[in-house]
Amino acid sequence: MKIKRAILFLAAVLLFAGLSPKLAHASPYEGYTYSYWGETVHSPIAYLPSKTITGQEIGVGPWSSPADLFAAPDGYLYVLDSGNGRIVVLDSEWKAVREIKKFQNNGKQDGFNNPEGLFVTEGGHIFVADTENRRVVELEGSGAFVREITAPKSEVISSNFEYFPRKVIVDKAGRIYVVARGVFEGIIEFDSEGGFTGFMGTNRVQFDPVDLFWKTVSTKEQREKLIRFVPIEFNNVDVDLDGFIFTTTADKQTSAPVKRLNPSGIDVIRINGNIGPVGDLSRMRSAFIDIDVSGNGVYRTLDSTRGRIFTYNEDGNLLYVFGQLGNQQGTFKNPVAVESSGNRVYVLDRDQGRITEFAATKFGSLVNEANGLYSIGKHDEAAKLWKEVLRLDANYEMAYIGIGKSMLRQGEYKQAMTFLKLGNDREYYSKALTKYRREYMREHFGIYMTILIPLILVVIAVRRSMRLRKGELKQDAVSQGG
Amino acid sequence: MRFLKEARYSLHVAFHPFDGFWDLKYENKGKLRIALAILLAVTVTMILKRQYAGYVVNYNHPLELNSFDELKYIVLPFLLWCVANWSLTTLMDGEGKFKEIVIATGYALLPLILIYLPNMLLSNVITLREASFYYLLESAAALWFVWLLFIGTMTVHQYTVTKTIMTMLLTVVVMGVIIFLGLLFFSLIQQIVSFVYTIYQELSLRA
Repeated sequence: MKIKRAILFLAAVLLFAGLSPKLAHASPYEGYTYSYWGETVHSPIAYLPSKTITGQEIGVGPWSSPADLFAAPDGYLYVLDSGNGRIVVLDSEWKAVREIKKFQNNGKQDGFNNPEGLFVTEGGHIFVADTENRRVVELEGSGAFVREITAPKSEVISSNFEYFPRKVIVDKAGRIYVVARGVFEGIIEFDSEGGFTGFMGTNRVQFDPVDLFWKTVSTKEQREKLIRFVPIEFNNVDVDLDGFIFTTTADKQTSAPVKRLNPSGIDVIRINGNIGPVGDLSRMRSAFIDIDVSGNGVYRTLDSTRGRIFTYNEDGNLLYVFGQLGNQQGTFKNPVAVESSGNRVYVLDRDQGRITEFAATKFGSLVNEANGLYSIGKHDEAAKLWKEVLRLDANYEMAYIGIGKSMLRQGEYKQAMTFLKLGNDREYYSKALTKYRREYMREHFGIYMTILIPLILVVIAVRRSMRLRKGELKQDAVSQGG
Repeated sequence: MRFLKEARYSLHVAFHPFDGFWDLKYENKGKLRIALAILLAVTVTMILKRQYAGYVVNYNHPLELNSFDELKYIVLPFLLWCVANWSLTTLMDGEGKFKEIVIATGYALLPLILIYLPNMLLSNVITLREASFYYLLESAAALWFVWLLFIGTMTVHQYTVTKTIMTMLLTVVVMGVIIFLGLLFFSLIQQIVSFVYTIYQELSLRA
């Protein structure tokens, strides 16, 4: 009877469970992060696809292999429609505001030829890396031609230098940085006048002892057929608010695919954990093809291997991962550019000619906000949000570290130790331990000493008496023997 | 009581190796059960250390700890060392019997317990800055162990210093050879088994 009732009850529960509606936002991908030990850990989804749009839907005609995207601070979205040689400007409601296709260059009609890179300055000037025309074009916001910057001329550049600019950025001082195809010397730097000043931030040649061995044993003919040792070219750049340049390298061998270059071209990226910003930790490495720097030192990289967007904070800690290759809404075929503004992320798909907009979920915005407060040093306020994050994801190590640091500040050393241990931060755990140890000893020093000193005295007394007795025994023996 | 007395003698060996190992061999003071007890204690120490060493110096992934690993990393190398050393010294006219080698090697392991255990307790109260003391003591334990092993080998086989060093190095090589042969053997056995199994399958499917 009991069993029958239990089965009936179970069936009813299952029936209701089947009837209940599915999650409103079923996601085409799973959320995950990497733990301290390099294991994948399930995590709530931080960003969900909210909208997608194509050229037709806007009414400007389909985009043909669009190559770059730029989200201006005023909410406008610039799409570089390479196949059609035009720039389409969208407003925040995703209505086409402008279309820039032709411009007057010295009285002549001029246009783009397969441009690959786009950058919009704060003043609203548009810079386009007009790849096949071998120049960088500067336009006003309205589309009026300002100037063109052609191939760099210098004694250090050989005469048969082929100049194909692919990406362009402009820093606050007006310096122009160009990433060009097949240029291994680094980023080409122009001053604000458009004069060539030099290369910066060269990628180092990767040293491989195995290659060296084969090189030494191979014959000259064989050697000539080997791939030449050249540094790897950068494939994308972005500039942050402080004028540091972030670069990506789509090489699967390199251990540092993301670099943050200071004005003299030295990599100053911060890597706090034991895993740097390298994307997935699987055998098939991620290949970053775009990078986007948003506020508070947070940067996102776009991986072309699996179509994922990895978001890191300024310490190089992975915050969350989203996106995937696929055919569903919200997945990509061939993602080429990532941009963000506020809590939105835009990804441009070249093959589908489509932009996908991602909106932060509750988890995503909590992490963003907590990390923002954390990075400007407001640890206590951040800790409150980190606690919320932990309620959604108990595996989120950054949150444990955040709370631990806040507790360390508040003087709760014992608890700070627990949290920092959970977050696997040995450095701050050690700091908390130092403080806790001092506090503990200050409180308990008296007790320990009260136990220790009598103990020592007792031991000394016992030993002395033992020795005395031994001496007596010896004396006895001597006297008896005598 | 007798066991305790014998155990106390192992301390004497650790602190006075020349005298200790001599008596071990010629006065029959070394006991096999003590050597094996030390081996067991070292294994337990290592298990405890992996689990309970202070967080600051403990880089083990708690989910990947497995006490059986210690058999692989302590008991197996111990036996390999003894076997390799014995096979080598029989050829290089060493005077030690197999039992003596086991005893000497076992007694030489004692410093690992003597230092690791207190060090483990200490590691729970040290900070990252003081962690170098921890590592210093760890290496001291290792050096002490090697020193005892050296004296032990020298005494047991009645070798000169250079010959002892040579023997110890060669023993390591022989250990590698034994591992290689073992793997080869297992791999061949595996292939034979799979071959026989395939034939059996073939026949049974045809029948």
